[in-house]
Amino acid sequence: MLTAEPDADLELALAEWRGYRRRKRLADVHWIDAMYQAYMTGIFGAVALYFLAAAVGDGPLTPSQLATVAADGADWLGVVVAVALAIGLRSGSRGGPLVLERAEVRHVLLAPVDRARAVRGPVLRQLRFLLFVASVVGVVAGLLASRRLEHHAAAWMACGALFAVTTVLLAYGAALCASVGRLPSWLGTLVSVGLGGLAVADGLGVVNGSPLTAWGRIGLWPDAFSVWGLVAMAVSLAVVAVGLMRVGDLSVEAAERRSTLVGQLRFAATLQDLRTVIVLRRQLAMELPRLRPWVRLRVGGTGRVPVWTRGWRGVLRWPAARVGRMLLLGVAAGLALRGVWAGTTPLLVVAGVALYVAGLDAVEPLAQEIDHPTRSRSVPIERGEVYVRHLAVGVVVMLAVAVVGAAAALLVGPSLGGLAVAAICVVPAALGSVAGAVTSVLSGMPEVSTGDAWSLMPPEVAGMRIMVRAVWPPALAVLGTLPVLAARAAAENGGAAASAAGAAAVAVVVVFMLVGSWVRMRDRMHAWWKAAMDQAFPDGKQREREGAAHAA
Amino acid sequence: MRRDKRRKTAPAGPPPILVTRGAAKSYGDLVALAPLDLSIRAGERVALVGHNGSGKSTFLGMAAGLLELSDGSIEVAGAPAGASAARASVSFIPDNPVLYDDLSVREHLAYVAALHGVDAAVDAFDDLLDRIGLLHRADDLPARFSRGLRQKTSIALGLVRPLDVLLVDEPFVGLDAPGRQALLELLDQTHRDGATVVVATHDPLYVERVDRCVALRDGELIHDGPATPDDVLRLVGA
Repeated sequence: MLTAEPDADLELALAEWRGYRRRKRLADVHWIDAMYQAYMTGIFGAVALYFLAAAVGDGPLTPSQLATVAADGADWLGVVVAVALAIGLRSGSRGGPLVLERAEVRHVLLAPVDRARAVRGPVLRQLRFLLFVASVVGVVAGLLASRRLEHHAAAWMACGALFAVTTVLLAYGAALCASVGRLPSWLGTLVSVGLGGLAVADGLGVVNGSPLTAWGRIGLWPDAFSVWGLVAMAVSLAVVAVGLMRVGDLSVEAAERRSTLVGQLRFAATLQDLRTVIVLRRQLAMELPRLRPWVRLRVGGTGRVPVWTRGWRGVLRWPAARVGRMLLLGVAAGLALRGVWAGTTPLLVVAGVALYVAGLDAVEPLAQEIDHPTRSRSVPIERGEVYVRHLAVGVVVMLAVAVVGAAAALLVGPSLGGLAVAAICVVPAALGSVAGAVTSVLSGMPEVSTGDAWSLMPPEVAGMRIMVRAVWPPALAVLGTLPVLAARAAAENGGAAASAAGAAAVAVVVVFMLVGSWVRMRDRMHAWWKAAMDQAFPDGKQREREGAAHAA
Repeated sequence: MRRDKRRKTAPAGPPPILVTRGAAKSYGDLVALAPLDLSIRAGERVALVGHNGSGKSTFLGMAAGLLELSDGSIEVAGAPAGASAARASVSFIPDNPVLYDDLSVREHLAYVAALHGVDAAVDAFDDLLDRIGLLHRADDLPARFSRGLRQKTSIALGLVRPLDVLLVDEPFVGLDAPGRQALLELLDQTHRDGATVVVATHDPLYVERVDRCVALRDGELIHDGPATPDDVLRLVGA
């Protein structure tokens, strides 16, 4: 057996080996690849900048608008900080923010090396990268802001960068502290929702005193210097320092789980494979089905509706976290639609996306069926028929979510007219979200090349198709919220809001039925399309056969 | 066959090197390992048996410091599992090899040895590699190996460093007959060198080579003591 040197410097050995591996990796990177990456980053950056500049505009603000920015700007920047903090806490409660290589977890973190020193290097490298990105974003935001605000551009750019850097420091430090302190996920969510809600309420002028406004003041320093910004900077640095000091206490178990899943998650996200992303995210959050269902259904009581019963058996095993998340999404959608009713039309998108995300959970029984295709193929009825039968459970679940949302919206401003509109809009909202979710789940990840007629299309057309496939499902969910807009328009023009909502709801029901028909007939449509293509391009079919024979 | 859940210590002999006191692991409402009291003495050779999901890998993971305990404690060589001193004493060979993509077998060994304070030349591991049947692939990347060769690499990594306790999880899976024989000899050699060897296995024949057999079922201890292969088959149906 080999023996250890008593005075061996393990951390030095680790540093030397890491350096060796880095040099090997760099030696394998071709300069053409590096140039290509820089080129692509430059192009995407320029496109993003163009759209951002167009969205911000370049006309100077009026005095009243400037006064609004001075009064509420810091509060709304505080909302940005709240979102960053929520991301940090969420990541930290799941073992983040660092994602180590799995072999590093096994071989370095299980060696008698000082873990703090072993992990601090990768942490600092990750933080350095994030701060660089934050600085660039902050400078760009400052530059765009300077075109509409008073004072010199350099001041806005510097303070924009400072605000972004301070925000990232706070979020990253919070993530580290949450990780080493084993912050439970529910507590992280509670803190995030609390601080986020306070920041939004402060922005809306409902309350005054969100602590995160202090960070927002940094961004407005060119307009009005506030010492609270300095306090915010000190707090951010302190949080990061505490996290760095305790970084050695990280959970090896969480680090390994994260190292395994995050790589797959990124790959699935790159392929726009939303279903895989959802499944992996659940694994990362340890969101496991309950061993004991909320309500135990009679065993063997499938009767004449086995798909319906199977669906409810799955739903009744949902963990509390998922139930809570769906209720929160319902509340968020309801409040957003209340905002639409009050006149803020873009909130339709927020409501639609919230309902779409909830819908993805609601159609879980159907998604499970799709994940296990051999099961549905082994039953003596068409697969599409099984899928359609699964929709019922999803609709019922989303109706419950939509009712919660309607209740939240009515609590903000109770009225009889509002109650009638909400009661009508619940149904299309639920149907739209299920239609969007089921379209997403059934479409799966975009096919790069299927060998069908799409492979003959130019890249621009194929790219457009991929874009449509990504946008269409959430658009269906947004469509389900349109009856609120119709009701508002009717009310503004002195018409009957409930009637308008009802008419729009009928249109949504029709769209839902079309989606249902697509789900039912999808396999037949694909078979028909393939037969038509084979007939149109017999050579292609012959080549396919030859290819299959060659592969065999 | 004895069935004694309350047994906490082995008969008199060398001092305990791996002690668990109410060590438990659960994931939400799923209990992976019920509170376990166990004491393994220095130099003991233990077989950990049980069917799938019985808690064998969970126990080894917790003792290695890879998994956190939900309750109780585990001490290895007098230090809490996962502490630096415990990590220096425990070598864990998992059932699923975890290796670097960019390092050759020889570089893997040199790296892991360096992380444990072993100052050795690059060819110092050739004997180990030869015994496990990997010498001819020493400069290849394990990322391109078959399951069995990766398993052999993982075994070599577990033995390339100083250790007091060797924890091995399902080591025979994926190994060919010569590889299996080489592993058995290496485990015997490690035990002869004074290390405690704990092997989780489905193979009932392995219990013939050990001093003690610990059987788990559904996360609970159902047997702790000597056992024959027939006993194991009766206990866990392996």
